Amino acid sequence: MTSAFFALFAALTAVAPPGTPDAAALLRDSDRARGGLAEGVSWTLTVESTEEGTSTRRTMDVRARNTDALAETTAPPRKKGEVILFNDRNLWFLKPGLRRPVAISARQRLQGEASNGDAASTNYARDYTGTVVGDEIVDGEPVWKLDLVARSKDVTYDRIRYWISKRRRLGVKAEFLTVGGDLFKTATFEYGNRVRIPGGQEIDFVSKMTIRDAMGAGGTTVLTYESPRAETHAPSVFNVNNVVR
Amino acid sequence: MTGAWRLAFRNLRRHRRRNVVTGVAIALGYMGLVVLGGYAGWAERLIRTGSVYMQHRGHLAVYAKGGLKRAEAKPSAYVAALRADPRVAHVGRYLIGSGIVGNGCKSFAMRAVGAEPDLERRLASHPEMIAIWGRATGPVSGRAFFDAPGAEAPVVVAPRLARALEKARPSPGGVPATADAPLDCGAPDVRQRLAADPFVQLGARTADGSFGAAEAQVVGLYRPASTEEDKTALVAPIELLQRLYDTDRVTYVAAFLRDHRDRAAVERDLAVRLRDAGVDVSIHRFDDPVANPFYAGTMAFLGALVLFVVLLVANVVAFSVLNAMTLAAIERSREMGTLRSLGFTRTQVRGLFLRESALLTITSVLAGAAFAAAAALVVEAADVRFEPPGSGTPVHLQFMPAPEVFLGTGGLFLVLTLAATFIAVRRKVRTPVAELLVEVAA
Repeated sequence: MTSAFFALFAALTAVAPPGTPDAAALLRDSDRARGGLAEGVSWTLTVESTEEGTSTRRTMDVRARNTDALAETTAPPRKKGEVILFNDRNLWFLKPGLRRPVAISARQRLQGEASNGDAASTNYARDYTGTVVGDEIVDGEPVWKLDLVARSKDVTYDRIRYWISKRRRLGVKAEFLTVGGDLFKTATFEYGNRVRIPGGQEIDFVSKMTIRDAMGAGGTTVLTYESPRAETHAPSVFNVNNVVR
Repeated sequence: MTGAWRLAFRNLRRHRRRNVVTGVAIALGYMGLVVLGGYAGWAERLIRTGSVYMQHRGHLAVYAKGGLKRAEAKPSAYVAALRADPRVAHVGRYLIGSGIVGNGCKSFAMRAVGAEPDLERRLASHPEMIAIWGRATGPVSGRAFFDAPGAEAPVVVAPRLARALEKARPSPGGVPATADAPLDCGAPDVRQRLAADPFVQLGARTADGSFGAAEAQVVGLYRPASTEEDKTALVAPIELLQRLYDTDRVTYVAAFLRDHRDRAAVERDLAVRLRDAGVDVSIHRFDDPVANPFYAGTMAFLGALVLFVVLLVANVVAFSVLNAMTLAAIERSREMGTLRSLGFTRTQVRGLFLRESALLTITSVLAGAAFAAAAALVVEAADVRFEPPGSGTPVHLQFMPAPEVFLGTGGLFLVLTLAATFIAVRRKVRTPVAELLVEVAA
């Protein structure tokens, strides 16, 4: 609570650099390139995790619409049919043989794949109040540095440090902090994909996200986004009751 | 009875009032210590059986080296070595893990214990468990997870967790038709729907780091061994948890001994045997402060408390006897002088006082033992039940002391009173006979 207060205080009293853009608009633009399209987008996602010398690989078909997403595992065969559903701020896990989905609360998402899925799907514009606190160079590219403070208690991370490209308006790096202010995970983003959205405009779309655990064994997860395409998904696709059936 | 003992007995009767007062002090002190000893013994058995049987630690728990924190034991070598030891009555595999348990609408943190159903059935009816925990060994409601034929993946959960999951009234019977029906978590009748559905969904991080889930049927509520576990505890068949965590490993293998006093010897022999076989393990006894700080800490506290009370009571008794015998020696100076002039040696005179003291102590100790046994029986009959601190389970207060407590405390009192008497009369009997004969008591 105290750290959140100080973060908010620092954010409110920070002197923004000259020519500072609107933080909310920056977040909206960067979210769009990570799947936050109003009508919908689909892609194939490969998740490769390495921890303590053990590697796992999983492939998923992902459908997303605005702040909702549905990821269904297609490989390996023993995990086939497992579904992770992000519906508004709720996260559900389903697999064949379960009568009911498993609800995963914000604080329960801090472990394993749920954590990485959560980091990947975080909707910054909706869940966080952003403040531009400076400008830096990341991998040779000028970026705005934003300090994000959670709008409510039911989000996973209280604070995120987020770097957004000045030219491309895309998130290139994020640091997820614990309640105590310690670094929990870091993420870097690459945008090698293009998606044509309704209206004919083509936008950059995320192609790779690398998440590193800053705590514990220091595992690494690489999410590779392939074949992204704009598609219209009905809101009912992301209704947990429809997924269970 | 010899002449000296008869004389001592008569002397006791002659100074009845003072001896009664001293005797009452000895009897009450003895009773207090015996009752305290009985309580301490009962508390030790309570915590020990709770740790060994209810918390599934066994008398010995064998982990893979450094495995207190990781589920990585491949138990075949340990199980074979333990089963070969005739001092070991039962051997069980356990898998401990954390995760979440949900009802389709909400999920809660859980700490799950996976156990072997057949073994748990035998342990629940273990005579030592029944003697100490009585009815508390059974489920609070519904059935035990090892006693639910026909149930799909039966589990038992702690009461507060069950209430949170809306499964406070488990039905261990078949699967209701509504269990497969879609659930609207926003519907007004959702609580009734959840209560009628016996299934919960377990979610956890699997051994390979991914997210796993398994379905289980709540067949009963059980009392966990501590209040902390009341919000999170769940016990399941080990196969279910291995499926959930996607592993064939266990956290540890527990050995249940025929006699808990053999634990150090069995631990030593097992360590040698496994080391010779090239198996690297950590063996933890139930009284190991690292593996079971609750038991070790509670027993250390209880031991310090008992020692303090014993010292206090022993001092009171010793000073009462010393005071009484000093007065007696002063009052009976002429009697001592007369006995000496009749040819009694100093040793014989001192022996007379020591016999008086021994008779007084034995009589008082017998009375104190009767009081203590009566108090224990009254408490037993009153069926006093309470929840020990940190335990979520009400237990039946009992403190009928063991025979060794009666005998040990009696021996202690005899030594104390004889020593006090010896000190009280030692100088007096060295006084010259002429002085003793003319001495007037103050």
